[in-house]
Amino acid sequence: MRNTRRPHPSAWLTLVGFYLVLLAAVLFVLVPFLWGLSTSLKSPQEVLATTPHWIPEHIDFGNYGRGLLSEKFLRFMGNSLLAVIGALIVSLTLAVHAAYACARLRFRGKDLLLFLLWSTIMIPTVAIIVPLYLLSVNLQVYDTRFAVIAAYSAMLVPTLIWLLRGFIDSLPGELEESALVDGCSPVKMFYVIVLPLLRPGLAAASVLVFLTIWNDFLLAFSLTLRDENRLLQVGLHSYVTEAGIEWGPLMAATIGSTLPVVIAFAFLQRLFIQGLTGGAVKG
Amino acid sequence: MNTAMTQAPGSTMSQPTRSRRGSQALRLLQGYAFFYPAFLLVAAVLFVPLFHAIWQSVHAADYMEIGRFVGLANFVNLLMHDGGLRDIGLSIVFVGGSVLLATPLGVGLAVLLNRPMRWRAFFRTVLVAPWVVSQLVTGLLWLWLYDDRLGPLQAMMQSLGIRALITDPDWAMASLILTNVWHSYPLVMVFTLAALQTVPSEVIEAATIDGASAWRRFWRITLPLIRNTLKVAVVLTTLHTFNTVTTILIMTGGGPAGATEVLALRVFKEGFQFFRMEVAATAAVLILLLNIAFSLAFVRVLKSDHA
Repeated sequence: MRNTRRPHPSAWLTLVGFYLVLLAAVLFVLVPFLWGLSTSLKSPQEVLATTPHWIPEHIDFGNYGRGLLSEKFLRFMGNSLLAVIGALIVSLTLAVHAAYACARLRFRGKDLLLFLLWSTIMIPTVAIIVPLYLLSVNLQVYDTRFAVIAAYSAMLVPTLIWLLRGFIDSLPGELEESALVDGCSPVKMFYVIVLPLLRPGLAAASVLVFLTIWNDFLLAFSLTLRDENRLLQVGLHSYVTEAGIEWGPLMAATIGSTLPVVIAFAFLQRLFIQGLTGGAVKG
Repeated sequence: MNTAMTQAPGSTMSQPTRSRRGSQALRLLQGYAFFYPAFLLVAAVLFVPLFHAIWQSVHAADYMEIGRFVGLANFVNLLMHDGGLRDIGLSIVFVGGSVLLATPLGVGLAVLLNRPMRWRAFFRTVLVAPWVVSQLVTGLLWLWLYDDRLGPLQAMMQSLGIRALITDPDWAMASLILTNVWHSYPLVMVFTLAALQTVPSEVIEAATIDGASAWRRFWRITLPLIRNTLKVAVVLTTLHTFNTVTTILIMTGGGPAGATEVLALRVFKEGFQFFRMEVAATAAVLILLLNIAFSLAFVRVLKSDHA
C-alpha cells in the first residue's frame, strides 16, 4: 500500500494502454461506417477516384437524392414501416395473451404445447424459407402484405411470449388476486389490471419487432417479388446488379436507412438490449 | 370474501364452491382463448413448412411438386457427391473462426468497459452499435471497404503483398470471418457486461489486496463467476453464425470458386437460384439437425456443470 497519492509510472502506462485498446476497437467499429458515409457524400467522379481518400473534396448530397430519397427507395422504407406496424398489431396482441396464459392460466396439454412453442425458437429462418415460399404460392398469398405480416408475426411470437412472460412473472400476483376477490371477472382483470402494468415489456417487445423486420432480408426476399411489396433490405440488395454497383447512391441509401436505427439505439439502449436478448439481459 | 365466510359457516358452503367452480371453468376457457390463436399462427407458419422440408428431403422433386419416395438418397447424394461435406466443412471454418475471435474480443472489451472511466457511455454505445446493423448492410459496408480497386485498404494490402481480399479464393473466407466478427462480438460483450454486474466487488477487492494481478483476478475469479452466461453467448453466436446467409450472399455469393459456400447459403441458392427443391430441403434438414445436436450438447454441458 505504498505511494497511494501519486500514480506509479506503470499505472500511467496501463491507463494509456487501456484507452488505446478502446480507441482501436472504436476505430474497428467505425471504419466501415465512415468509409460508407464518405462515399455517400462524394460526387460520382470522386467515388471512382483510383487513389481513395477519406475526406470528400467537396460535399455532394446528390447521392442522397438518387439513393435514399428516390421514389423507389422511399417506397421500400414505407413498405418496411407498414410491415412493422402490421406485425406489431398482430404479434403483440397474440403474444401478450399467450404470455399471460403461460404465466398464470392452466389449460389442457400446457406442458406439451409450451415445449412445442419454445422448440420453434430453435428453428433457423433459413431452414424454412424455401417451403414457406412454396406454401405462400400454394395458398395464393405470395407477394402480398398479408403473407409478409403473417410470416414475421409467427417468427416473432415465440420470442415475444418468452419476453413478456418474464415481465408477467415479475408482477406481484396479489394485485390480480385482490381484483378477483373484489369481484372483477378474470378476463376483465387482465385488460384493466395486468395489461397497463406490462407497458415496459411491450415497449421492449416493440423494439424487437421493429428491429427484426427493418433488418431482415431472408423472409422478405422469399415472400415478395414486385417493387411495390418489397421491403427495405431486399431493396438495398436489388442495387447490386450484374451491370455493376453504383456505390454513391447505394451508400447513401445504406447509411441513411441504418443511421436512424443506430441513433435510436443510442438513446434507448435498455429497451433495445432487453428486446434483442428476449429479456435474458435486463439492459 | 373471507369475512363473509367466517360470518356464515356451513349454511352457505355450497354457494362459494359452485361459483368458484364456475370461475375456474371460465379461467380454463380463458387459457384456451388466450393461448391458441398465437399457437395456431406459429404452427401454420413454422411447423407446416418444417414438415414440408422434412417430407421433401426423403422424396425426389418434380420441380415444385414432391415426387416419389427415395429414402435417404438425397442425403447421400448431397453429402457424398454434391459437395455437402465440403459445405459443412466451410461452415465449421466460418463458425470456428468467428467464435474464436468474437468471444475474446467481446469479453475483453466488456471487462475494459466495466471499469469506471471517462466517456464510458460513448464507448459502450459505439462498441455495441454493429449489433443493430442488418446483415445485409454489414455485408455491403465491408464489401465496399474491401474493394480491391477503389477501397481504402489497398495501400495496406499492397504493402502486405495481397492482391485482393474478398474476391481472392485464399483470402475470401478470412475477410468474411472478420466481417462477421464485427457483427457478432457485441452480443458476447453485452452478455458479459450483464454478467459482470453480478460479480461482487468485495471479492475482487479482497483479491487485489492479497496482491493478485489483474490477469490472475480475471482468470481465477471473474471468469468462473461469469462462465455460464458466457457459454450462452457463445452458443447463440455459434448458432447465429452457422445459420447466416445474408452477409455471405451479398459479399461473395459463395465464391470465389466456392471458397465461401457454407451450408446455409447452399439452401438459399438451391431453393431460389437453381430451383432444386429436394437439395434445398435436404440441406435445410441437415442445418436443423446440426442446430438441435449442438443445442442438446450444450444443455448437457450446462447440466453436468451444475451437478
